[in-house]
Amino acid sequence: MAEGRLGLVILGGFLGAGKSTWLRHQLHEGRFARHHILVNEAAGTPVDNLLLGGAARLTVLAGGCACCEGLPALIAALRDICDAASGREAGQIDGVVLETSGLADPGAIAAALAADQVLARRLRVTEVLVLADALHSAAQLAAEPLARAQAEAADRLIVTKPAGLPAAELARLVATLHRLNPGAGIEGAEQGVPVALPAPGAPYDLPALTGAAPIRPHRLRVGAEGGWVALSVWLSALLSARGEDVVRVKGVVRSPAGRLLLQSVRRVVQPPEILPEGEGPTPEEGVIVLIGRNIDEELLARSWARFGA
Amino acid sequence: MCSACGFPARPGHWTDAGGATPGERLRLRLIRLAAVNRLLAAYGLSAHDDGVTPGLQLFAPGGARELVPDLDALWAAAARMAGAPVDPLSARALDG
Repeated sequence: MAEGRLGLVILGGFLGAGKSTWLRHQLHEGRFARHHILVNEAAGTPVDNLLLGGAARLTVLAGGCACCEGLPALIAALRDICDAASGREAGQIDGVVLETSGLADPGAIAAALAADQVLARRLRVTEVLVLADALHSAAQLAAEPLARAQAEAADRLIVTKPAGLPAAELARLVATLHRLNPGAGIEGAEQGVPVALPAPGAPYDLPALTGAAPIRPHRLRVGAEGGWVALSVWLSALLSARGEDVVRVKGVVRSPAGRLLLQSVRRVVQPPEILPEGEGPTPEEGVIVLIGRNIDEELLARSWARFGA
Repeated sequence: MCSACGFPARPGHWTDAGGATPGERLRLRLIRLAAVNRLLAAYGLSAHDDGVTPGLQLFAPGGARELVPDLDALWAAAARMAGAPVDPLSARALDG
């Protein structure tokens, strides 16, 4: 029973799983139209909000993953939303969608919200959705404790980008996810559009995990003007040499053709999208966020100073 | 793709973005060459782009050369020639 509490949908998934893309399509289809969208990003440079222009109410929490150092900010934002939804504005929103950062464990967030004395009375988690990237998920589940924790926390698992994987491997991934979290429904989605998945195959044998180095976000100021060429050269070399360690890169960089939205997942860099000028929220230009492990911040800055600037 | 030479082998590598006009694309290509060579120097390699031949030409000191279609292929070929990946964070690249 809802008991006047707002429903909360937690949208989780590893870095680059396609959370914003999925959510963008749902908004486009008119789902969550009366929901407040809350986006959390681990790094201090919001990018995902640029993808979510279709949301009626959108709050971005940047600079801290909500399952650890960003938790107080998340709780404050949720309390504000609950307050706004119970006063004069009561009945204006149907619920809240929280898009977590790719570094977050949705289970830990749900646990923290349940432990908050106010929110426990105002919110109820209606669903934990976790997205799994078809191309990278098997490797992530084998190597990352976080990827497993995310998959285990889900009520519903959505395998994204399934078209890029042969059906036999997709069947094995579905079986692996099912073995990790037998209770969750598993669906496929391409760019947010539901697609059928093959019947489960033989699950992958996941190794026991040892303590891999934690994944950290790093910010790199690449300059607003003229930095694009140097950045593309430097970054393509970095990804070629260290694609296993640099899990994700995103940022907005100025080029002669306009502002480019740059995004990568491991070695796969998306074709840079040209952002139209003067539309939507103004992104922080000339700053890229590198999320990865075994990266020395001082070395990163030195390397950029030598090869980039 | 040119049906005589087969270049470019696939549509637009991400590092080729950023130029809206042909002139701008050529200008970016030539600026890019300098940045590529700064990174390759510590590995004894060099790249050449005459602006006419598609792709980049990669040279090793022994005389080995390779024509590569894009920067991904360039770094892969350079790693093969140098025997180690061209890593911008390595001591070799930074102190070489």
